[in-house]
Amino acid sequence: MVFDTLVAEFPFLLRGLWIGLQLLAALLTLGFVLGLTLSVMSVYGHWTLRLFTLLFERVFRGIPEIVLLLLFFYGIGELIPMSPFIAAVIALGLRSTAYQAQIFRGAMQSVDDGEVMAARALGLSRLATIRHIVLPQALRRSIGPWTNEYSSELKATSLAYVIGVVELTRQASYIVSNLQGNTLTVFAVVAAMYFVVNRLGNAGLYALERKMAIPGFEGRGRET
Amino acid sequence: MSDTPILSVRNIRKTYGGIEVLKGVSFDLERGQSKIVIGPSGTGKSTLLRCINLLSPPDDGSVILDGVTVEQKGINQLRAQIGFVFQEFNLFTHLCVLDNVRLAQRNVLGRSRHEATRRAMEELERVGLADKLDAYPAELSGGQKQRASIARALAMDPKLILFDEPTSALDPELTGEVVQVMKELANAGMTMLVVSHEMGFAKAAADEVIFMEGGVIVEQGPPSTLFTQPEHARTSQFLQMLTHEHHET
Repeated sequence: MVFDTLVAEFPFLLRGLWIGLQLLAALLTLGFVLGLTLSVMSVYGHWTLRLFTLLFERVFRGIPEIVLLLLFFYGIGELIPMSPFIAAVIALGLRSTAYQAQIFRGAMQSVDDGEVMAARALGLSRLATIRHIVLPQALRRSIGPWTNEYSSELKATSLAYVIGVVELTRQASYIVSNLQGNTLTVFAVVAAMYFVVNRLGNAGLYALERKMAIPGFEGRGRET
Repeated sequence: MSDTPILSVRNIRKTYGGIEVLKGVSFDLERGQSKIVIGPSGTGKSTLLRCINLLSPPDDGSVILDGVTVEQKGINQLRAQIGFVFQEFNLFTHLCVLDNVRLAQRNVLGRSRHEATRRAMEELERVGLADKLDAYPAELSGGQKQRASIARALAMDPKLILFDEPTSALDPELTGEVVQVMKELANAGMTMLVVSHEMGFAKAAADEVIFMEGGVIVEQGPPSTLFTQPEHARTSQFLQMLTHEHHET
């Protein structure tokens, strides 16, 4: 009975999941590009840039995701109209920027100063040193911590529900209200879907970490 | 041009955290000459090397490389002409040996991939690492790492190479292979300034020994003179201490 309905409704859940994955990909990409930029600024930039990155990180790490979503969609959206999806990408993407900037900054600072000095001594410019020496090592070391960011943002996409993005959680609640009950079953299926995507993503990231590991170091790409 | 020194260091001064580490150091290095700098630790020897290529810019004084003043303007091209070999090797962890030696040739000198590879192979062969092209730094012994870093410096065709205690981080049984490479370089006419207490190198390959203490050059001269009849009491005391240490270890 319930299962017949579930089978009938499953395409809607898949559609919701697809929207959620698009949101996830967009916000992580935004967070990656801006986060990497901020982290370079905060490690190598002028003090004004460092101050800016510090304030940015403080602000976006200090506000709940739901409040950010409401702020962007209903607040800023009143001045600059935007779709719920775009508002969610920006709100969650900027928050992810703050967290990813911290991951990359820590990884960049962990690159051996001696190697940076050797690169400069060979005549590489500051920028060339960051590009050829610091980032290739820092990005490898970021994959581990970045799996946390992936998991956390995947789950955060469900919050976009509150501003009307029809992602997985919202599809589920539509189904629950149509079915008049069966809440447990529907949300159990939804929970399983989030869980599977989370596991698959992390498995992929760990595989990437192993593939990118520098020969000569033991363990999962970890350098000691 | 050939009678002007390739490197001329004039009255270099450097203060770190209120302490004057270098108190006016001057010396010349002729083309093809190798000089070794000895002296107690904390006496500014490594700082002196870093002042020469402005890794640590001096507060006062000047460095002239082959007639050109070394200054911040155009520093990257100037640094490319000054090889630097570090105590801790500082190979690029994420690159194989071949890429370690190719990177700056491509990026700084603008050499083609083919040309960079050719030069890298020549120098790696010279230091005896032709069979380690694909190895990563973490897979090499200390002596191999240091030889790779010497090849990395050589492949840039520098006018001179600065060595900052190149054997101090090595296990005693591995210093020999690095000293051997350095001797061969000196004999082949490479201009070298070496901070080291490696007496084997000093006696066999150095044209001159510079004894530094307290941020100044106390005396300098050919090893045969300086080691047997030093002018200053401090020099002979230090030499005695060095010999003593070497006998103990």
